[in-house]
Amino acid sequence: MTSKEVLVGQSAPSAHLVVRGVEKRFGGVHALRGADFEVSRGEVMALVGDNGAGKSTLMKILAGAYTFDSGNFYLNGKNVSIKSPNDAAALGIQIVYQDLALCENLDVAANLSLGSEPVKSGWSFLPKFIRPIDSLEMEAKAKKAIEQLQVRTLQSVRAKVGGLSGGQRQAIAIARAVGTQSTVVMLDEPTAALGVAQTKQVLEVVKRLRDTNHAVVYISHNMRDIFEVSDRITVLRHGDNVATYKTSDTSPDEIVIAMTSGLDDRSSSGSSSAT
Amino acid sequence: MIVLVRGRQVQREENLKIVDRLRALRETQIGAFIPVLLALVAIWGYFGLVIPLQDLLTGETENFRAIFLSPRNIYNLFMQSAVIATLAVGITIVLLLGEIDLSAAATAGVCAALLGVLVLTGIPSILACLIVILVGIAMGLVQGLLVAYVGIPSFVVTLAGLLGYQGLMQKILPTGNLNVGDPFIRGIARTLIPDLWGILIALAVFGLFAFFSFRKQYQRRSRNLEVDGFWVIWVQILVFGFIVISVVLTLNAYRSLPLLLVLLLGSTMLLDWVTRSTPYGRSLFAVGGNAESARRVGIKVNQIRVSAFAIVGLMAAIGGIFGASRYGSVSYTAFAGGSLLLEAIGAAVIGGTSLFGGRGSVWNAILGALVIGSLGNGLDLSGASAADKLMVSGAILILAVAIDALSRSSSGRT
Ligand SMILES: Nc1ncnc2c1ncn2[C@@H]1O[C@H](COP(=O)(O)OP(=O)(O)OP(=O)(O)O)[C@@H](O)[C@H]1O
Ligand SMILES: [Mg+2]
Repeated sequence: MTSKEVLVGQSAPSAHLVVRGVEKRFGGVHALRGADFEVSRGEVMALVGDNGAGKSTLMKILAGAYTFDSGNFYLNGKNVSIKSPNDAAALGIQIVYQDLALCENLDVAANLSLGSEPVKSGWSFLPKFIRPIDSLEMEAKAKKAIEQLQVRTLQSVRAKVGGLSGGQRQAIAIARAVGTQSTVVMLDEPTAALGVAQTKQVLEVVKRLRDTNHAVVYISHNMRDIFEVSDRITVLRHGDNVATYKTSDTSPDEIVIAMTSGLDDRSSSGSSSAT
Repeated sequence: MIVLVRGRQVQREENLKIVDRLRALRETQIGAFIPVLLALVAIWGYFGLVIPLQDLLTGETENFRAIFLSPRNIYNLFMQSAVIATLAVGITIVLLLGEIDLSAAATAGVCAALLGVLVLTGIPSILACLIVILVGIAMGLVQGLLVAYVGIPSFVVTLAGLLGYQGLMQKILPTGNLNVGDPFIRGIARTLIPDLWGILIALAVFGLFAFFSFRKQYQRRSRNLEVDGFWVIWVQILVFGFIVISVVLTLNAYRSLPLLLVLLLGSTMLLDWVTRSTPYGRSLFAVGGNAESARRVGIKVNQIRVSAFAIVGLMAAIGGIFGASRYGSVSYTAFAGGSLLLEAIGAAVIGGTSLFGGRGSVWNAILGALVIGSLGNGLDLSGASAADKLMVSGAILILAVAIDALSRSSSGRT
């Protein structure tokens, strides 16, 4: 883990979110082996790697959904600890999970504010968790978030999520992450279930997030999308990062080779020794 | 925005299949009550109209059985169902999580027995009630901790609880029976709200319901949110008003509105508000729908689980107090050893609360308890045997769960 960081054309002097040496084991599976990662504000960082490379695991750790075994996190240059989803949310880190993580029995509006429902004012004599929810405010917020994403097929924010199509659900998961106050937005394969038109819309959302000075992490297996939206690309392989490329200086072929066999000059000694 | 408002209606018209309609219906607020209300109407119609008519036709004037719908029987029916309903309301909370509590009736038994013993030792009865309520909460809490933090399935934990608490009740009541003569405790079931007050309460509740419905509608319109159809609001208000006022009038026709029912409905109203309108209640539904999602948005899933079992314990204790008050005695068979548990779980499920978690309401449990109570009462009146009662109850339960399963599977089965 010494000089493997091959930063081709380092652009940002100090990244907004930096993680160093993240380790994560699931029983016998060594999912992350000291991975490094960073993303700056106003940039889209693509995260690529083969199935099982550890992309989702890394994102879930950053979102507080998984605990990590070791590693350091820096936000805005300050050392922070992310131990729970609440920590991540408080730090302004939002995520669209690969499996969406929606509650099918609740309606769209409830899903969008789940865990941070707006409550009516004037009930402060009660603890927060049993104050009345301001359901109208919640619906209005949901409507705004959905309209921003321009999901035209969604008829009502009071529809139960269980009755929606895969693409609509994906849009809701994205709206949930984008709608809140956040500085870092991570999207784990957000276009996997989408048609051409909706994929385009998601890419527009990603670009808009960059333009509004968010730090965006974008995971995808689709090279075309990645080269369309990203500024830099981090390649992950067997739980370790191979390299970070500037998108304008590389090509899909180079990325695919890095994903499948690591860097040319170290492919033989790279990560095959661990097993 | 126009699309938003009209979308629901359009969708409703397109669904033509019966099962689809059922599903769409159950998604709406009052729609969830319709199956159980229909069941209730059917049962009351059968026992109240069909059987007397039969008697009339066959000329059986000797024991003419037209008493089911008499005010006196309705009064008794409500009182008989009250303990079942109290437990069913509590059980609904854990059902929302997709868990089960088999120990509720035994908990109620322990609490009732403890109450009787405490009162005998001369402790003020209000204090005794409070102690018993705390004990009930603690009994639920222990089970919740085992489910949430040790990870034992709730079925097993509460089955063990059922056995353990049954034994505990026998320890507290070695004779298996204890009379409760304390005037305060007996007063809960005996106190009657004066007729006029009962009507005033009913009118006030009706007025508030209408006021809040219209205010919500007005606020929705002024904030440019989608609004419910005009007739939906009116039907909702009128049906609600009809039920509330006719119940009070019927009870007044025999005696009056009993305090016990006011307490039961009041606590149900409170729990309904907590489950449907607060972040805590929302997280109950979220955990029941998808626990992992709930965890990932920062909901403390384990704490929610523990609290739900504590609420069952609370309602079981209240049920125990109600029972002791109504029967004037505490007996092993009336609580822990009898059919109370199955009736309470059956009531919650028949009411329309899903066994799979994430869907249901405490009001449905009240209606479900009335279904169970009416069945028992009606079959008793028409001279059916205990065997018939069991078999009919079983069939109704299966029907309820079948409706639940059918309206749950939203995948496009043909
Ligand atoms: N909850 C878990 N329990 C056990 N092993 C896990 C768990 N989550 C992930 N893993 C393992 O960790 C490794 C990395 O998985 P991860 O989901 O991060 O891959 P990924 O890069 O997101 O792949 P994909 O492109 O298929 O989504 C895999 O070997 C996987 O089997
Ligand atoms: Mg993944």
